[in-house]
Amino acid sequence: MTASIMRKMDIPVPKVALSSATGEGRGGWRLSALLVLAVFLVGWPLLLPNPFFLTVGTLIALNAIGAASLHLIIRTGHISLAHAAFVGVGAYACVLSVMTLGLPYWVGLLMGAGASGSLALIIGPIVLRLTGKYFVLVTFLLGEIIRMVFVEWVPVTGGSNGIFGIPTAHPIVSTPHGQYYFVLAIAALCIGLCACILSSQIGRAMDAMREAEQVAECAGVPVIRLKVTIFVLACGLAGVQGGLLAHFLRYIDPTAFGWVESLNLVVMNVIGGMFHLAGPLIGTVFLVAFPEFLRGYVELQRVIFGISIIVVMAALPGGMVEIGARTRDIIAGARGRKR
Amino acid sequence: MFTSAILAQVILNGVCLSAIYVLVALGFTLLFGIMKIVNFAHGAFAMLGGYALYYLYAEFRLPYPAAILLASVGVAACALVLEPLVFRWFYQKMFQSMIGLLGLNMAIVFTGVIVFDVYERSIPPVFSGVVRLGPLIAPTDRLLIVGIAAAVLAAFWAFMTRTRYGLAMRAAAQDVETAETQGIDTRVIYLLALFISIFMAALAGGIYAQTYALSPFMGDRPLMVAFIVVILGGMGSIPGAALGGILFGFAESFLSTFYGSAVSSFVSFGVVIALLIVRPWGLLGTPE
Repeated sequence: MTASIMRKMDIPVPKVALSSATGEGRGGWRLSALLVLAVFLVGWPLLLPNPFFLTVGTLIALNAIGAASLHLIIRTGHISLAHAAFVGVGAYACVLSVMTLGLPYWVGLLMGAGASGSLALIIGPIVLRLTGKYFVLVTFLLGEIIRMVFVEWVPVTGGSNGIFGIPTAHPIVSTPHGQYYFVLAIAALCIGLCACILSSQIGRAMDAMREAEQVAECAGVPVIRLKVTIFVLACGLAGVQGGLLAHFLRYIDPTAFGWVESLNLVVMNVIGGMFHLAGPLIGTVFLVAFPEFLRGYVELQRVIFGISIIVVMAALPGGMVEIGARTRDIIAGARGRKR
Repeated sequence: MFTSAILAQVILNGVCLSAIYVLVALGFTLLFGIMKIVNFAHGAFAMLGGYALYYLYAEFRLPYPAAILLASVGVAACALVLEPLVFRWFYQKMFQSMIGLLGLNMAIVFTGVIVFDVYERSIPPVFSGVVRLGPLIAPTDRLLIVGIAAAVLAAFWAFMTRTRYGLAMRAAAQDVETAETQGIDTRVIYLLALFISIFMAALAGGIYAQTYALSPFMGDRPLMVAFIVVILGGMGSIPGAALGGILFGFAESFLSTFYGSAVSSFVSFGVVIALLIVRPWGLLGTPE
């Protein structure tokens, strides 16, 4: 339905998004690819029990939650620069409920998700009426205000010094291996939830809404309500990332939740590709692992990293997901010539 | 608390801040209006302007007017060298430009860290005396800075309103395609806009470094302010950037003197958010 509307309206349809919506023929292939990926993700720490790699792996899994949940918002046609601030709300809420209220960790994690979700529920209906660049700008300022609250509300948040000595989630998950598998499992749940939403009827409604809002509304999509729901859900997932992050690093301070971090999450989406869930995941691996493995030359690695972002954006405006589509085109072209 | 001497001081500070903000924001909005690129590397060029001024004035001992002019022109020339390598790929692509130029920002800032080291430096003052005007005590250096900024802004205004190229640039800022059909060579306009915009950013960076401090990360604050000022005035609107810069500079000067910098940030951000919700296209922008 979505695609036909888009074609009728003469709107350029993103290739990747369409193929994901109508790609039933490749279902078996996709399932086996997912299975291989899952076996790899679970298996590599057993073959290569290196604490450094495990830490990087945990960081990638953590950031993947934020990037994938931001991807949900991006698929509704909004780019939020406040996402890291919501991660921060989740982190502070989780830490405070565990450390000051003495609640168990699981409840704290839910409190974190609940706190950032409710904040999104208050803000969402107001800001989601804005579109395009105006939404980007408003969320940029909102994120800064939330970060300033972390800095200024010293009795509760500890101000610029942050909060030290956060306990680990559970003795079992205090080893690098336990940590990795714990975060991986929750990340898989969160990303699975995103994938379910995107491949369901709701996901198609989101795509329709992004490409032609008024047409979608006429076709019966409750635009504002859907946008707010997705926004609240995505921010709630960001809160989960915050809670996990705080108990992984065991220390939080406001600098981890500023607009640079939000922009980082957007960069993960744009670098990877904005119209497919695989995009933010590829982007996360690239953005988290690349700097970690060039640790020896901190300044030089930033320079190289900056240049590689320029090159990726200049050569592949649709993100790294395009590499797949391009090679497919080249292969198809080669086959065509043989015939 | 509100004595005339303090008030006069606050106004002088406001003028000085406004001058810096307007210089940065004008270039930022010019690039957005004409090429639809969000130049997240703007602060990095301001930083380069600061270091260029430092080396030319404090190390090579050039006379001050020559040093600041040469520094700004030099940085703008660097931007022209970067144009075919970086900027050209992102014309008329808003989101790609945002991310790509963020990469450029990172590359320039950390090259700065490698070349100049991270410690803060200061540029020696040109004049060390003060000028007394009734109750107002003004460092001569500040007045010089305000004078330079005013002269450059006046020259910019004259260029935009009195010359054919200025007219062509305003036309391109309004609607690039229509401007092209009228025979305006947009490649030349793009280069010119980039040169002028980076020139002003580098000049503002030099002034900023002279008033505050010089370090590879000093560009972050001007960049963020430029971003907010441009939102306030309306993305792509040139008079809007000027008005926004003046409002923001004075508001910051008043609020941070009397109520502290935290209140100042909360109030100005809150006002801009409220404005965006009611009037998303900014004070002087045009609704789409």
